[in-house]
Amino acid sequence: MKRIVQYLGLTALTLALTGCSPSSDKPAADGSSDTSGDTSAPAKTKGIIAYTPLTLSNPFFKIIGDHITAEAAKNGYDTLMVDPDMDVKKQSDQFDDFISSGVTAIILVPCDRLSIGPAVKLANAKGIPVFTVDAKCAAEGAEIAGHVGTDNFQGGELAGQAMVKALGENGGKVLILDFKKAHSCVLRVAGFKKVIDAHNAGQTTGKIEIVAELNGNGARTEGYQSTADALQAHDDLDAVFAINDPSALGAYTAIEEAKKQDQIKIIGFDGQLDGKQGIKDGKIFADPIQHPDKMGQQIVQNIMKYLAGEEFQRDTLIPATLYDKAMADQDPELK
Amino acid sequence: MKNIDYAKLFSDYGTLFVLLLLCIGFSWKTLDEQSPTSADTAQRLAKRISDELSSGSNVIVLTRQGGDGESFAAALKENLTKAELNVVQTVVGQPADARKALVKYGATGNKLAGITADKHMANFCNANLAKLAETHPSLAKAKVYQPQTYRWPNFLKKDNLLNIMKQISVVAIIAIGMTMIIITAGIDLSVGSLIAFSGVITALAIRGLGGDDPTLGHLWLGSLAGILVCGLVGLFTGGLVTLFGIPAFIATLGIMFSARGLAFIFADSEPIVVQNEIFGWLGRGRDFLGLPNSVILMLILFAIAHVLMTRTSIGRYIYAVGGNPEAARLSGVPVKWVLVFVYTLTGLLAGLGGVMEASLHVTGDPKAGNLVELQVIAAVVVGGTSLAGGQGKILGTLIGAFIIGVIRNGMNLTGVEAHMQSVVYGVVILIAVLIDRLKSQGFRLRKR
Repeated sequence: MKRIVQYLGLTALTLALTGCSPSSDKPAADGSSDTSGDTSAPAKTKGIIAYTPLTLSNPFFKIIGDHITAEAAKNGYDTLMVDPDMDVKKQSDQFDDFISSGVTAIILVPCDRLSIGPAVKLANAKGIPVFTVDAKCAAEGAEIAGHVGTDNFQGGELAGQAMVKALGENGGKVLILDFKKAHSCVLRVAGFKKVIDAHNAGQTTGKIEIVAELNGNGARTEGYQSTADALQAHDDLDAVFAINDPSALGAYTAIEEAKKQDQIKIIGFDGQLDGKQGIKDGKIFADPIQHPDKMGQQIVQNIMKYLAGEEFQRDTLIPATLYDKAMADQDPELK
Repeated sequence: MKNIDYAKLFSDYGTLFVLLLLCIGFSWKTLDEQSPTSADTAQRLAKRISDELSSGSNVIVLTRQGGDGESFAAALKENLTKAELNVVQTVVGQPADARKALVKYGATGNKLAGITADKHMANFCNANLAKLAETHPSLAKAKVYQPQTYRWPNFLKKDNLLNIMKQISVVAIIAIGMTMIIITAGIDLSVGSLIAFSGVITALAIRGLGGDDPTLGHLWLGSLAGILVCGLVGLFTGGLVTLFGIPAFIATLGIMFSARGLAFIFADSEPIVVQNEIFGWLGRGRDFLGLPNSVILMLILFAIAHVLMTRTSIGRYIYAVGGNPEAARLSGVPVKWVLVFVYTLTGLLAGLGGVMEASLHVTGDPKAGNLVELQVIAAVVVGGTSLAGGQGKILGTLIGAFIIGVIRNGMNLTGVEAHMQSVVYGVVILIAVLIDRLKSQGFRLRKR
């Protein structure tokens, strides 16, 4: 009996530990696995493209990753997708692992735009090109071969235009839920204000007045709290611009609680699934949406050009587009 | 034939055995083509080319910038020239540089017989040369030569093994103190926050002392400040646990939240960059025999801790307190001082871990060390230390840290999906505790 238990434990342990790797037998694993379907090279991939986003729990980065994988496979490359879970230490360790794996190129969404610098420099020293997507790396001396992101300023302008449309001729009082820690969100607000200012300049009545700019932290909880506070101070609020969907939905909860959902219009940003659903349900007026699918494809296309030594746009911005209720009603993704 | 006690063998060396199995498994999984770039390889490659091409033929050397690129290109050029081939150009750079060079050479109209390249540039040539030759026919006959590849696991590459050790060093060092605490039947949840706290204090102290241009002395003083402040926090925790009898779990939970919050307040929520790259010496330097400095520090600390726990009275006291505090007290062990000692030591080690972490990124980051306390506890438990106290080995903890590091690294190398990694961690910890239970029952199932 004694031995049986002891061997059971041992077997279970080793199975659990090494048994996890079979899931890596899919082509995305290592260069040595036999992947067929590649036309030119005989059952051998050309290399590995590694992807380390901010976090994979956010669907946005998962979609980028899935499109990187698809586009890379089209070009005969494998993909290695890992999740640093917003921890820059983990992301740095992943860079070490990428270098050990001898990857062809690294696609990075920095967990911290400064602290990731040493890891990028290490990859630079080994000659592995590093590309950023969505957010940039701002560390001094870290060489980034190319960047693909959303044109956040233009997206903010779209939000501003949607706001003008939502409020109509009467204008009104607007609350902005910002997130100053993220540069992308600062740009969104800047674009938004530019359109609002331009609108006000030609108007004597019906101006759109920004009465408060509060921190929504890009999250439901803070979006809710800040909006609830703002409603105390400004009970005649007409609209809210939130820099992303979670804070927009948080704002909706506060507005619903105050029973003002018919008076107050919300403009969000991003076009995540629950944001789109919110638009269809009439909670959010409209969203400028980003295109993670295009971002994933574009970054791989840029890498291919880099590897072929061809010219490409180092800093590619993908324009945001406006997504409103009419589009949400047609969207097969939504309930 | 002698009857071997398998159960004892397994409980003594089980974790080491598991580590070995993991290494074998991951080695097998990461077997891959390796393309060498040593001087030796360059010599052999040049020989092969000179055998195939007539002397005086025009050859271009292409290697990728970074790594061994430069030295490999230089060695190739030297050997090819010796073999009486005409090296018309050497390019160490990016694909775009290679393209430019080939186009430029193609424009001269001179015949090109061969291109000698490392793996990366050979890939570039194989993909693009045919297209280039359409517009520059003189390139059409060029043959691409690259080093002979061999198969070797990515996992077992020297750099990768050193990486694993470097990556676990912070967790392992803190796990020394955590092992002692857990042996006394306590726990410390605050170490992850203390990493951030120490890093922020260190970075702030360095900035305060040296401004934008800190000297080496400022770096030392700042690091010392970070470590000592965390030592004081550890002392405070020890006081809460011994003087007021607050359970360690609660006391350190409180410290965990407070220290994290203070780190954010002191740092004003922004990472603080240390304006002197020398600060990276501890976290990133490799000064002795190519070993990372953090790894050397880890090994030294483990050696000291091993001696402390096995050869000194304080080591025996720690085991005694964990085994039965009342009996220990009656036999004259200063129980309270022992507890204060282990919490203070862990505070100091967490402070050191924070400095190492800050050094790695040359930044004091209030977000650093998030959930590291759980990794540390996992390393200790996987290493065979019993959460019930009284039992455990320092070297077991080192092996535990290795197991955690190897699993993480191996799963990243083989591209195991992120959520699956989390599942595996959980299972590993559960199994470790299961073995711990079985061990204490002599590998028999519990009877009702």
